[in-house]
Amino acid sequence: MAEKPKTRPGGGKLFYIPGGDTFTRIDPWWGLVALVVVAAVVLVTVWPDPFWNILVFVRGGIIVTVSITVISFIFIMVLGLLGGLGRLSRNRVLRGFASLYVELVRGVPLLVQLIWWYFAFPVMIQAVGKWLDFSFMIEYQANPIATAIIGLTVCYGAYMSEICRAGIQSIPKGQMEAARSLGMSHFQAMRYIILPQSIRVILPPVGNEFIALLKDSSLVSVVAVADLTRRGREFMATHFNPIEVWTMVALIYLVMTLLSARGVSWLEKKNRFEE
Amino acid sequence: MEPIIHIENVHKHFGRVHALRGISLDVYKGEVVVIIGPSGSGKSTLLRCINHLEEYNEGRIVVDSTPLDDTKNINVVRQEVGMVFQSFNLFSHLRVIDNLALAQRIVRRRTREEAEKIATDLLVKVGIPDKAQAYPVQLSGGQQQRVAIARALAMNPKIMLFDEPTSALDPEMIKEVLDVMLALAKEGMTMVVVSHEMGFARAAGDRMILMDEGQIVEEATPDKLLTSSHERTKQFLSKVLNL
Repeated sequence: MAEKPKTRPGGGKLFYIPGGDTFTRIDPWWGLVALVVVAAVVLVTVWPDPFWNILVFVRGGIIVTVSITVISFIFIMVLGLLGGLGRLSRNRVLRGFASLYVELVRGVPLLVQLIWWYFAFPVMIQAVGKWLDFSFMIEYQANPIATAIIGLTVCYGAYMSEICRAGIQSIPKGQMEAARSLGMSHFQAMRYIILPQSIRVILPPVGNEFIALLKDSSLVSVVAVADLTRRGREFMATHFNPIEVWTMVALIYLVMTLLSARGVSWLEKKNRFEE
Repeated sequence: MEPIIHIENVHKHFGRVHALRGISLDVYKGEVVVIIGPSGSGKSTLLRCINHLEEYNEGRIVVDSTPLDDTKNINVVRQEVGMVFQSFNLFSHLRVIDNLALAQRIVRRRTREEAEKIATDLLVKVGIPDKAQAYPVQLSGGQQQRVAIARALAMNPKIMLFDEPTSALDPEMIKEVLDVMLALAKEGMTMVVVSHEMGFARAAGDRMILMDEGQIVEEATPDKLLTSSHERTKQFLSKVLNL
């Protein structure tokens, strides 16, 4: 029990044969990433028309997709932590508010939410502005990128709240009791004992959320954001070659999601203490 | 002399269960009080009320002249009262040294050097100086419990509470934990111990209390209580001692 080998058996690899040689340590997941990248490179170099042209045309969209995903995700983490703590709060108002938010948002499809934020929300603001006679509100126009970030954040924040709540609840009660018995305040116990332990628990589902968000961000193309999907549609509208366009777009999404998955598992490994 | 723990007519309800039914108890400085009783008798609940991990519904508890009824006092009292749990409850994401140092730094506001010096000395005292850099999961149950005792001691408490500290341990590890507790008792620490370790009670206990159904049934020196003629005490002891 006391003496454990420093390296974990298999080092987290999918296959491990004790005493096996290097061959057994090839990670099949990296193999998949390589396969997809090679496929994309082959398409682009062997048939530069249309694949290279597609890639050049949508590259701005890739940047938009990645930026929207990353920026939303930062807000989602903050909102999710607040929502999760709210769900667990002893304050009934806070708890009720957080629960209402989670239940409402989870019951409405993301696409409908995005459309609501883009088309309904501005009209609502304008109406309230007219009523209050605030000119800056009357002139309010939906900014596509901001709307996309708000829509994704509000929706995914609800799911993230549930992940955070479950993560915090998964820490044994004794940890909080031990912390409090040492004189730590509730806040200190959360900050130094409960949350650091929760991070390890929630990291895998949070990673899944990031990848799901990356894919769902394609929905923002309906609210006039020139993301990867929308750029693909624009290219198709002028060149009429759906097979090539959507295969290329799919490959680009695949490269991004597969790389994210590797990033997540690297983070998981880094956050594991010795067991 | 004023008692360091004063418990007066304390009642505690868990929903419909009346867990404590009017407990009154005084513990004086330097005393070792051992509480025994069947499971569900309220002994752990009573212990947890002393540092307010459990709220009581009625009555009064005063620890080191600080009444527990004001929530502002609770963190003050908890700094003076160390607690050792049945399931150790070491912070699993922290190394042993940080388990001992963290609360010293953020509650007692000691510097890292100070806190780690105290932690290192305490690890020597509980006999595991070589485990400072280990994580809790790498330790045996007995070692974990000794770390837990050291972690509580690092806050320089005036009182130590032990909630069945050896019941989750393998038999061969019980002694190493009891030895630490015995040494602590010899140094004059005020201790309230919920435990059925009769050897420890005899060797270190000044007073022994039998609880049943949320009440104190009998209270005497260990030798007297273990040979008591009280019907309920005899009945309980016959079960515990014949195990």
